[in-house]
Amino acid sequence: MKDELAKRLVQGLKEAGINFVTYLPETRLSQIVPLIRDDPEMELVAVSSEQEAVTIAVGATLGGKQAAVYMENTGIYVSSYSLLVTGKQLGVPILLVVGFLGGVPDQRNSFLYATIGNHTIPVLQGLGIEYKVLEDGEKLEIKISDAVRAANALRAPYALLFAGEFSE
Amino acid sequence: MIRHECLELLAKRVSDQLIVTSQSGQRIEWSHLSKHEGNLLVGMMGCAIGAATGLALALPHRKVIALDSDGSVLLSLFNLATLGSLQPKNLVIYIFDNGVYSGSRISYPTATSGNADLEAMARGAGIKNAHTIRDIEEFNKQGIEALTRNELAFFVCKVEESLLHREIRRPNTDLAENKYTFVRYLERTEEKTIPFVGRG
Repeated sequence: MKDELAKRLVQGLKEAGINFVTYLPETRLSQIVPLIRDDPEMELVAVSSEQEAVTIAVGATLGGKQAAVYMENTGIYVSSYSLLVTGKQLGVPILLVVGFLGGVPDQRNSFLYATIGNHTIPVLQGLGIEYKVLEDGEKLEIKISDAVRAANALRAPYALLFAGEFSE
Repeated sequence: MIRHECLELLAKRVSDQLIVTSQSGQRIEWSHLSKHEGNLLVGMMGCAIGAATGLALALPHRKVIALDSDGSVLLSLFNLATLGSLQPKNLVIYIFDNGVYSGSRISYPTATSGNADLEAMARGAGIKNAHTIRDIEEFNKQGIEALTRNELAFFVCKVEESLLHREIRRPNTDLAENKYTFVRYLERTEEKTIPFVGRG
């Protein structure tokens, strides 16, 4: 991902009200981590598993933060239990910022990732989590803002899956 | 020592703390002992410490208490490493360790009934203030006293298996109802709006 796109992504999160981000880094979107870390208006929390990335973000949301979780799409599988019971069942909005490895628009797709990518959207659908695949920076800030608004309205997690230009 | 007598002591000390419970008999016992609006009764295992950590980070001036079980914390051991790194000073965690999967109704032993030592794991993860409590006097002294200190605390409370919770009426508060009671309580006591509640 070009640095300019990473800056716009983080700025888009800020403009959408995101002020608390839990994360486990991955390869496609990792430039956003130092940008969030260096922003005094955003709190960045490193975790050890995507499962707790979700539960910590849920707790922070209930405490008044507007929280996002940054993870690889493998993290959707790891965190599916906490997404279901604390996100969906309890009804707590969080934005999932997901590096979408192995999907068709992944510019670094390979046999290592393709199976992982193939199952991501069916799993999100199975969990009942709304999602959008983003492949370029067109109207990026608006799409992020729309996603946060949708999560808050649904009282549920909402996933943005980043591929295409974001995976270059 | 049984869990219920620990919870009885704890309930007497609760004022404006936020309490997050995991799913187990302690959820039933705690909801029976405490009608505090700051109770968040998380409905499943392995999620309470994470949710409590998020609350503690979001509200660093507010004391947060997590009530969890050995089976539940064994599902989420990665929490220990993260807590050892984050060190939220306003978080007190009580693990009621009866050494069995009591809810399964076959009392099958958990790993803590064998060689697994949750206090040692917590210390190894960097939680210096981790202790094992074996009797009610110690719980009343060391465990309760932690509520007045500004330091992350992790107590493994070794309790006998008790089936008392099966004699108590289960809470009939819906998860969403509990969530909104909790959030409205926070809005009132923190004098701020929780963003996601929004406008209708």
